[in-house]
Formats: sequence, structure tokens, C-alpha cells
Amino acid sequence: MFKELDPILHSQLRLAVMSLLIGVKEAEFTFIREKTNATAGNLSVQVQKLKEAGYIEVVKQFKDNYPLTTCKITPKGIEAFDAYVQALQQYLQAGQG
Amino acid sequence: MQEDKAFSPQESLALIQTMISKTKDSFADNTFYFLFWGWLVFGCCLVSYSLKVFLHYPNHFYIWWLMPVGGVITWIYGARQAKKERVKSFVDEALDYVWLAVGLAFFVLVLVNVVGGQTWQTAFTYYILLYAIGTFVTGNLIRFKPLIIGGLINFVLAVVSIRFGYDNQLLLGALAIFISYIIPGHLLRARLQKNTSQHA
Repeated sequence: MFKELDPILHSQLRLAVMSLLIGVKEAEFTFIREKTNATAGNLSVQVQKLKEAGYIEVVKQFKDNYPLTTCKITPKGIEAFDAYVQALQQYLQAGQG
Repeated sequence: MQEDKAFSPQESLALIQTMISKTKDSFADNTFYFLFWGWLVFGCCLVSYSLKVFLHYPNHFYIWWLMPVGGVITWIYGARQAKKERVKSFVDEALDYVWLAVGLAFFVLVLVNVVGGQTWQTAFTYYILLYAIGTFVTGNLIRFKPLIIGGLINFVLAVVSIRFGYDNQLLLGALAIFISYIIPGHLLRARLQKNTSQHA
């Protein structure tokens, strides 16, 4: 039986964001945008979806009068990422067999 | 990066690997702290030694008032850097707490010597031990051998220092900080600058 790949994570940009955040404590929106080469508008939408799913925490504040958005993965997000990678492994093993 | 484009499990895994490699081994440039404290303590050790041994100046220890001044400068620098940081890795966080603990331990040691009315005979033994702990842990966390080696040598120097009187301990302290902070600090700065120019 194949596990269903989590539709929230099985999307290039959202998966890229989650993969970046899994390795760090927290990262600013501009850092994520730079590393993913995404547009600000598209990234905002995807970050919002991850937030609504409870996979990441988004903190908005001001730094020197400029808005500053910081993202951080949640325990639920880590669990979902783990499950997604395990499901991927199943697919890959089946492909090899 | 395209959104909602269908992609295979292989592509998915490749994407995860690429992204993780972008944050792997990332840590903030902390060479300022090593070089600032390294040269400051090194200079103070030598000046204090000269004042005491050559000039027989009774208040030779006044030079150590530069330590709290250094603390304030470090604090201001750290606060400014924190504002510039766009990503914080787990290594960065671990290093923050290691050095906060080492800094507090330095402060406590001074208090122990002042309040306890000690003769400062063992002061450098413990300071060198703290340099050893801080640099050994940092070197392992950021995987930088010169810091690890500097830390290990300082563990030995801490033992050696107990055989010397206070005057010579000042020289030993200068040697210890030179090996554990100054040399690795300059090597690390050179490596980081090389990496930056390669990625530019």
C-alpha cells in the first residue's frame, strides 16, 4: 500500500521552503526568497498555505521601520516532513524493485 | 520556481537535498569575537606583565578594567549583528549559549577572586581552562580544526600553569590566548573570506 503524498508538501515551492526551514532554527522571508528564487508574491501565498496547515510559524514584526517576516518550522511540520520523506522512500523503493 | 507543476518522487528528493545543502553547515561569522578578545587579552597580559615586572608599578592590575569595557563593546556589536542576521541555525544558537556560559564563568571567577580575597594564584589556570572549553566546543560545532587543536593545547596549558607564579602566568595566559583565539581566529577569517569570494 502506498501512502498518499501529502498534497501540502508535494508542491515544489512549499517543499523547498520546508526543506530550508527543517535545517535551521528560523529564517527571514527574504532569505527564503533568495534561496528558492521565488517571487515575493508567489512565496507569500505558499508560506500562507503552510501556515494554515500548521506546518510553520510566521512572525511579523518591524525592524528599523521595515516589515520583517520570520518563519520557523513547527513540530507538526517536522512530523509531516518526516512522513512525506518516508512516503517518498516507498515510491522510490517500489520503482527500483 | 514554478508552483503546482507535477513532479516525480525523484525530483522531489533532489529538491529536498538541494535545499538542505543550502543551509547545511551555515553559521554566522564570529571571528570578530575571537580576534577582538584574543588581541585585547593578549595585549593586557603583556602590558600587565611589563608594568609589574619591569616598572614595578603597584597598580599593574588596573589594565584589567579594559575587560568590562570589552564586554560592553562585544554586547553592542552582538546586538547590531543580531539585527543583520537573516537566518539562525541551530549551531548559531548553541554557540550563543556556550559563549554566554563561558562569559558568565569569567565573571564569576573574578567575583570569586575578589570576594574571596584570593591571591589570584590560580586565576589563569581557570581562565585558560575556560578558553579551552569555549574553543574546543566551538571548533567541533563548526568543524574547524585549528580551534579544536587550540582548545586541546589550552587544556594542557591549564595544568602547566599551576607550576608557575602569577608573573609568569601572565605570559602563559598570553601564549594560551594566542594559540586558542588569535591564530584560529585569523585562519577562520581567511577561510570565510575565501568562501565568500568563491560564491560571489
